[in-house]
Amino acid sequence: MSGRRPLSRPARFALGVVPMLAVLAWWQRQAAAGGSGGIAFASLGDIARAAGEQIANGALQTDAVATLSHALIGLAIGATLGLATGIAMALSAWAERLLGPLLQALRQVPMIGWLPLIALWFGTGEQSQIIVVVMAAFFPAMLNAHAGVGQVEKRLIEVGHVFGLTWGQRLRLILLPAALPMLLTGLTQALAFAWIAAIGTEILMGSGAGLGVTLQVAQTQQRLDLVFVSVAATAVLGFLLNHSIRRLRAWLLHWQPAGI
Amino acid sequence: MATFPLPSRPPAAHLALDLQRRLAPAAPFLVLLAAWQALSLSGLFPAQVLVPPTGVAHALWQLAESGELTRHLGESLSRLLLGFTAGALAGLAFGTTIALSRVAEAVASPLFLTLWQVPVIAFVPVLILFLGIDNPFKITVVAVAAFFPVALATFDAVRSVPRGHFEVARVYRVPLTALVRRVLVPATLPAVLVGLRIALTRAWVVLVAAELLAADSGVGQMMEMGRQMFQIGVVMAGVLVSGLVGFVLDRAARAAEARATRWRRA
Repeated sequence: MSGRRPLSRPARFALGVVPMLAVLAWWQRQAAAGGSGGIAFASLGDIARAAGEQIANGALQTDAVATLSHALIGLAIGATLGLATGIAMALSAWAERLLGPLLQALRQVPMIGWLPLIALWFGTGEQSQIIVVVMAAFFPAMLNAHAGVGQVEKRLIEVGHVFGLTWGQRLRLILLPAALPMLLTGLTQALAFAWIAAIGTEILMGSGAGLGVTLQVAQTQQRLDLVFVSVAATAVLGFLLNHSIRRLRAWLLHWQPAGI
Repeated sequence: MATFPLPSRPPAAHLALDLQRRLAPAAPFLVLLAAWQALSLSGLFPAQVLVPPTGVAHALWQLAESGELTRHLGESLSRLLLGFTAGALAGLAFGTTIALSRVAEAVASPLFLTLWQVPVIAFVPVLILFLGIDNPFKITVVAVAAFFPVALATFDAVRSVPRGHFEVARVYRVPLTALVRRVLVPATLPAVLVGLRIALTRAWVVLVAAELLAADSGVGQMMEMGRQMFQIGVVMAGVLVSGLVGFVLDRAARAAEARATRWRRA
């Protein structure tokens, strides 16, 4: 506990850069030595060159657009269905009893576990990939919408009754705004799951375009440089997606007291 | 209005109502199973494409009888156990270290946060290139999947231990082992257990995915073989088994969590 004194910003930065540089230096040495254990280490120059090539011939952009569209189309369908189902289950005991146990049971199967079955039924094309993404996005949206609408304070709902609001007005003016933080949490999680599912299905099905497809093909061709370019693109895009939805959430919830 | 007492229900009716309430959650399943069976027997779809529930049960029975199921499940679970133990221990050690030492945090957290942006599944091709497709690869994937949630939960938990606890311990000159055992562990246990549970279920998902991609055994491989040989019954049995395992792991971890934090509610 000697390090309780806060470190200055430059010191923190310098310390953080050290291990990254160490990893890069070790990597470069392995590449210069011709690799070890039968692995052809790609030098940093090779990786940079591969990145340049992928951008110059447009492959990286095509892949990124394909993966993003799989993730976002799946998210749009899955989150919409999930939010609607979750809200319906929170408002209607009948829907809850009908769907609750069934959805809880389906939720237990790892999303990727559905892949072989869906591949048999719908082929290994884009359709199957999007179906898996839809399923991945559905459950977090559904669970959070269910919890969020279910937790709306009774007195708010009673105010709606007192004012004689119609069902639609109650939903629009009271339930949805009160549940908005949880709905957005659901959407945030759904986006993360959709992104992972999009990459995962591309790696496992390996057809068409996409970062995951290139990753898988590069692995079978032992192109470590290309593997790293794709992994880096995955990380950057994932970070940007996550960052954008956080900004959206903060903007939509600016009327709320901070810290929720 | 309600001034005269309600007639008490006869016991038989009471029992029937109780039974009805207990069985109600199963009703949608039974309806679904019946509809599924009827649809697959109707001949609208080829029998190989829409396998009836009885067909799935038959496939599961055959897998169990031939010992295939035990072999695949055993392989998967031993990989899960080894990888999860390694990943969780590393996560605990790493999370504690960067929470307690500002220098360690400054050194390690930028690299950690960068790697955390990559979905674990995207590490799969990288790890295959380095480790091949045998057990070391699968155990490492599981360890990586378990490491991140445990490290983050441990970091948060240790960071949120009130400073006063450590100061009191210092005043009383509590030795390090006692500090860990009597202050750190009780204060961080609930949050760390949640992290371990999340890590366990994620590790299972990632293992099934890794086995789908590259394995000679395991539940994921069983499904992949079923797919390649167009045995939908086997694939569905695999879906069922992987769901059940995920469910049991989650429930067991929750039960352990409840037991270990019992003193909190007292």
